[in-house]
Amino acid sequence: MTAAAIDARGLGKDFGAIRALDQLDLEVREGEFFGLLGPNGAGKTTTVHLFATLLAPSRGTARVAGYDVVREGLSVRRSIGLVFQDTTLDRDLTITENLRFAARLWSLPERVARPRIDVLLRQFELLERRDDPVRTLSGGMRRAVDIARGILHQPRILFLDEPTAGLDPRARRSLWERIRALRAGSGLTVLLTTHYVEEAEPCDRVAVLDRGRLAALGTPAELKQAAGVRSLEEVFLAHTGHPLAETDGG
Amino acid sequence: MSARAVYGIVAREFVRFLRQRGRVLASIGRPFVWLVFAGAGFAAVFAGRNQIDYRVYMAPGLLGMVVMFGSLLAALSTVTDREAGVLRMVLVAPIRRSTIAFGKTLGATLLGTAQALVVAGLLLPVVHLRPTLAGALLGLVAVVLSGLAMGALGLVLAASIRSIENFAGVMNFVIFPMLFLSGALYPVRHLGLVLRAVAYANPLAYGVDLLKHALLGAWAEAGYGGELPVPLDCGALVLFAIVGLALAASLLGREGGVTRTALRGRS
Ligand SMILES: Nc1ncnc2c1ncn2[C@@H]1O[C@H](COP(=O)(O)OP(=O)(O)O)[C@@H](O)[C@H]1O
Ligand SMILES: [Mg+2]
Repeated sequence: MTAAAIDARGLGKDFGAIRALDQLDLEVREGEFFGLLGPNGAGKTTTVHLFATLLAPSRGTARVAGYDVVREGLSVRRSIGLVFQDTTLDRDLTITENLRFAARLWSLPERVARPRIDVLLRQFELLERRDDPVRTLSGGMRRAVDIARGILHQPRILFLDEPTAGLDPRARRSLWERIRALRAGSGLTVLLTTHYVEEAEPCDRVAVLDRGRLAALGTPAELKQAAGVRSLEEVFLAHTGHPLAETDGG
Repeated sequence: MSARAVYGIVAREFVRFLRQRGRVLASIGRPFVWLVFAGAGFAAVFAGRNQIDYRVYMAPGLLGMVVMFGSLLAALSTVTDREAGVLRMVLVAPIRRSTIAFGKTLGATLLGTAQALVVAGLLLPVVHLRPTLAGALLGLVAVVLSGLAMGALGLVLAASIRSIENFAGVMNFVIFPMLFLSGALYPVRHLGLVLRAVAYANPLAYGVDLLKHALLGAWAEAGYGGELPVPLDCGALVLFAIVGLALAASLLGREGGVTRTALRGRS
């Protein structure tokens, strides 16, 4: 029995001929803020979906919260929260209706769910909009509701799959504040995926993922030191031979 | 099975349905359009040769039709859920795939049943059909069982079909043969051997047959009541529902259902 929140051994996933994830060995510790850094198509979402039991591994094993993702899917899902890369809200329902729907799916009794929803809405500054259909919200607000939905059942492990993608800089900053506040004082383990180095920077440890392979793993300081460079951007380049950011117009 | 999760799924189906005015009105208005237009035409063709007013004969079939549209089209929400990503959120909840399938099918059943009850309240007085208490109860059983079978069938289609456009196409292809081979408009026993065989593979045929037992008992002697034994009708509908549910549960969890949309949405 391991104390690791996530423990992957030789984990891999193929989609037909596409090797989305090759052979991932990874341990995320209890309470850790862990970053999965890689460009589009690196296999970040695939990895998260494997951990969340939404995909079946093609090879290898993974334990999440101590449960096997293949044989103990229900227990895994009970222990985790997942904020998907693309919003999963019902656009025709209001914020409150969406959260209440989630509360029921997670079997929270009404008397527990109601005050919790109130607290989250206040915390995320959504109280005035609570009875508005999600389709009328800004992207940043939707993201906030997505996150509220992801933590409503108070998971031990939270997956955030590119939570800030598609947001303007201001919405991105305020979301980042929320994630920080969420972690402060709670033993919550967070696995965040991102293709922005500045978002990987504050993580306890970072795994660099490229074309389905784990290219490097360590604290941001360790990674920079080992590669003899000053930024995570350069760490990526040193390990993969190509830059992280897609070059614009060149 | 989590009762609260099932309740959440069912409640959401109702909220979504009631907010779509057009769907509500269509489901209530549709049978009356058929009653007026198809009813008038067929009544004229059959005039004088029957001991039953054709509009009375149509009533059980029209109720069956309401359940069919109500419960089968409820599956539309599963297709839109997949496209909007909601299905992924449901799949990451700590519930079994079979719970999701059951919740969706129960939602479809109750939607179809509610629509059939509203239509029955309007339609039966119009055609001067006053069922006995036993008839009314059997009718309710027929509506609920048909709803279950239709809901499960709809879910199987929704879980195997990826886009709304394809779903609409398949639905058209399914709905009309199903309606015409159900006994809703003419007795199944008048059909040729092949079509009759097809009719008995059609869940709606058992539902309509059961509704005829329930509502046309007085015309049974004249050959317009139910044709099959009541237990057979019920058994067939339950079988359709169980097989459909099992199939839908395994189809819903297929991983393509979760990730393919995510990919499409991005590029
Ligand atoms: N359902 C799928 N079917 C086929 N290929 C897929 C599927 N999901 C992901 N892929 C492929 O796997 C690779 C990794 O994708 P993904 O995990 O989404 O990367 P990331 O999240 O890092 O952008 C990509 O090449 C992608 O096209
Ligand atoms: Mg991704």
